[in-house]
Amino acid sequence: MVRYFAKRIATMVIALFLIALLTFVIMHSIPGGPFTSDRKVSPEVEAALNAKYNLDAPLAEQFFDYIGGLLHGDFGPSYKYPGKSVNDFIYNGFPVSAKLGGITIVFVLLAAIPMGVVAAVKNGKWVDMAVMAVATIGVTIPSFIIASLLIYVFSFRLNLLPTYGIDTWKGYILPVIALGGYSISYMARLMRSSLLEVMGQDYIRTARAKGLSEVKVVFGHAMRNALIPVITVLGPTIANLMTGSFVIEKIFAIPGLGGYLVNSVSQRDYTTIMGVTIFYATFLMVMIFVVDIFYCLIDPRIKYE
Amino acid sequence: MKKKLSLKLAAGLVCAAMLAGCGSGSSGTEPQTIGEPTQAAEESAAETAAAEPAEAQELTFVLNNEPDSLDPSYTNNSFASPFLTNLFEGLVTYDENGELAPGNAESWESNDDMTVWTFHLRDGLKWSDGTPLMAKDYVYSALHVMTPTTTSQYVNMMTDYIVNGQEYYDGTASAEDVGVKALDDNTVEYTLKQPTPFFADVTSMWVYAPVQEATVEANGDKWSTAADTYVCNGPFKVSEINMGESVVLTRNENYWDAENVTLEKLTFRYILDLSTALTAYENGEVDGVRNIPAGDIARLKAEGAGTHTINVYGTVYYNFNCQKEPYNNPLVRKALNLAIDREAIINNVAQLDAQPAYSILAPGYMVDGKDILDGRSTFEMSPTADVEAAKAALAEAGYPDGEGFPTVQLSFYSDDTVKKVAEAIQEMWETNLGIDVEVTSADWAVFYSGVQSGDYEVAAMGWSADYVNPMSFLPLLVTGDVTNTSFYSNPDYDALVEQIKVEKDPAAFAQLVKDADDLVSSDYPVLPLYYKADTYLLKDYVSGVYTDSSAHLYFKDAVVTK
Repeated sequence: MVRYFAKRIATMVIALFLIALLTFVIMHSIPGGPFTSDRKVSPEVEAALNAKYNLDAPLAEQFFDYIGGLLHGDFGPSYKYPGKSVNDFIYNGFPVSAKLGGITIVFVLLAAIPMGVVAAVKNGKWVDMAVMAVATIGVTIPSFIIASLLIYVFSFRLNLLPTYGIDTWKGYILPVIALGGYSISYMARLMRSSLLEVMGQDYIRTARAKGLSEVKVVFGHAMRNALIPVITVLGPTIANLMTGSFVIEKIFAIPGLGGYLVNSVSQRDYTTIMGVTIFYATFLMVMIFVVDIFYCLIDPRIKYE
Repeated sequence: MKKKLSLKLAAGLVCAAMLAGCGSGSSGTEPQTIGEPTQAAEESAAETAAAEPAEAQELTFVLNNEPDSLDPSYTNNSFASPFLTNLFEGLVTYDENGELAPGNAESWESNDDMTVWTFHLRDGLKWSDGTPLMAKDYVYSALHVMTPTTTSQYVNMMTDYIVNGQEYYDGTASAEDVGVKALDDNTVEYTLKQPTPFFADVTSMWVYAPVQEATVEANGDKWSTAADTYVCNGPFKVSEINMGESVVLTRNENYWDAENVTLEKLTFRYILDLSTALTAYENGEVDGVRNIPAGDIARLKAEGAGTHTINVYGTVYYNFNCQKEPYNNPLVRKALNLAIDREAIINNVAQLDAQPAYSILAPGYMVDGKDILDGRSTFEMSPTADVEAAKAALAEAGYPDGEGFPTVQLSFYSDDTVKKVAEAIQEMWETNLGIDVEVTSADWAVFYSGVQSGDYEVAAMGWSADYVNPMSFLPLLVTGDVTNTSFYSNPDYDALVEQIKVEKDPAAFAQLVKDADDLVSSDYPVLPLYYKADTYLLKDYVSGVYTDSSAHLYFKDAVVTK
């Protein structure tokens, strides 16, 4: 087990290195640089900027310098926002995104699992159909449309909730719904099909034959196994939601991490592209790793060798 | 680079727009606006003047882009304008009529040949932290800008004018040799390389604003990123910086004219999504919004929702690559110009409150209260397309009915409005001239490096002047100028511009500018579309906010009468 985890961690480090390398190469191969602007910067200024940020060094040297900084937890300075470092963006943006994402995850789980269970238990009945209809809509409508609709109805028409920002608890309601909509729908469907499958297995028939109540059968025996697929997708979902959504954060004007990656790419802010990518990749890998550990806890049949 | 070949449309204005699209990073300076503040603004000011000031003098104004920096020595980013305009005050400023007015300097004069400019500072000026602000602070700031490690984006606005500025930057001259001197505590003197009649206008740019040596030296380039190290000298100071979210400005009690500043707190909140910002405004959650979705301008105007249109000293146009066949032929450029229905582009496509342009040079420079370009030619163009004349010009150029005309490669950068305009131009040229047009787009960085290297045929461009003087436009078409991306070349025009640069007499200057404009615009070096205009929203219960010709918003006289 220990050996297995050590191996996993080593793989993660190698994967991160490759991600960094690949991002670096792609980033430098697209035309334009961080100092391309509408107002032509004089050649001297451009040279001064390149020298300041070491952009005039050979690419290989720049890459290893960067990796060297990373090992000390230094993501480097932002090229586009002088005086700010990529660490600043992450320190400021991540807690905001993570809080919104964390609340959304709780909301997703509280909504999706009961929806899936009810739909599975009432398989084929109208409740099932209703839940699945809602879930289908949730999967197919993009979050920005849901967000705009929510703002239109609850802020503009009814004037119940703020249009932007998360300064008060009320501000969280719309972004959480818009952000979680897809995941709820997806997980509810997953929960339903997974539970249905488990309910058809022999040990459930045995449990029923013992005369257990349906509640006990579902929650005592079926749920544990049925949750495994849900937990599998939970890892990447948590990583996704907690690192911020560009679209949702932009629409609700939430100062999270989501916007930085997208903006940094179009601005060629090299260090921000690298920093946010690596941060996201690390977070995602850790979440998947955590999920793997959870498998063992939930299902004793799973062992890592 | 692959895409650049394609078509380019360029709209200059755009920088702002595109940057916006990209986030806040690049430097789109969207400076100067034109002469007068809008009528609407004046009216509302007049209406509300009678109302009683409200208890809470607080405003929340939405900005739709985050600037790259709040350091006046560093940035040339137009998104920094609302901050730097209200946090700093240079030697000169602009008043509510858009005219140059005393700022930190109560008076100034130049020598006879306009190469030595002397500014007299007010007595008792202070920084926002209460320490005295003196002439030597202006000297420090200028040298700080001209130091390579500052990487000032506007450095050429100093090195182009000040004696030994470039040499100091290059390390071949010492600080004593540079033409900025503190003659005493209250007198700053700039010595210039050549006669510059408009130098006072130049010093209104924020790159000429003073920055405090103590905080800059102690905190390096981080001084402008935190409220407690942010020292300024304008009507407001910074009391909170919330990254990506908002910056809170409060009244600066150490400002020399603080007693006339009523507004206590001004929160600039970033809402990048234009529709969210508009909803928040219509809901009454915020008091003003910098940018409006184009499609909503007409409706908001009709509803009297507090729209204020500012004419910006800038032009949206397309570059022709004047070195490339067939665009090196003025008749071809004329035909392409005449075939455009500018009114349709402004009203139906871009949906702006703007004026059609027939020249790259925007109006707005006033001499003796009169725009120097009043009554100029339209160069055979009209607000709508003149299909017959366009066809005739094309035939004269050797392409009757568009026969044999190569497919036009029209390039533009990714931006919704720019894209719509490009497609409209494509349609107009195809229908009116019978030629084929292919449009291509790329994101700004890719697009612009293609334009700079001349790797395009027709490309979207735009220009916003850095300061209100025709000299901020004229170099765009001068042979070999770094900003001349249409590669137009005309020795007669170049010679005229040289003359204009040193002309001291305002009337003669105006005449020369007009001549140069006549000369160059009859050659159709670019495809002018419209002069930039910018609409912002501000509730009627706020009075006293005004803009200058550079579209800078001044809040120092703002009063809330809710």
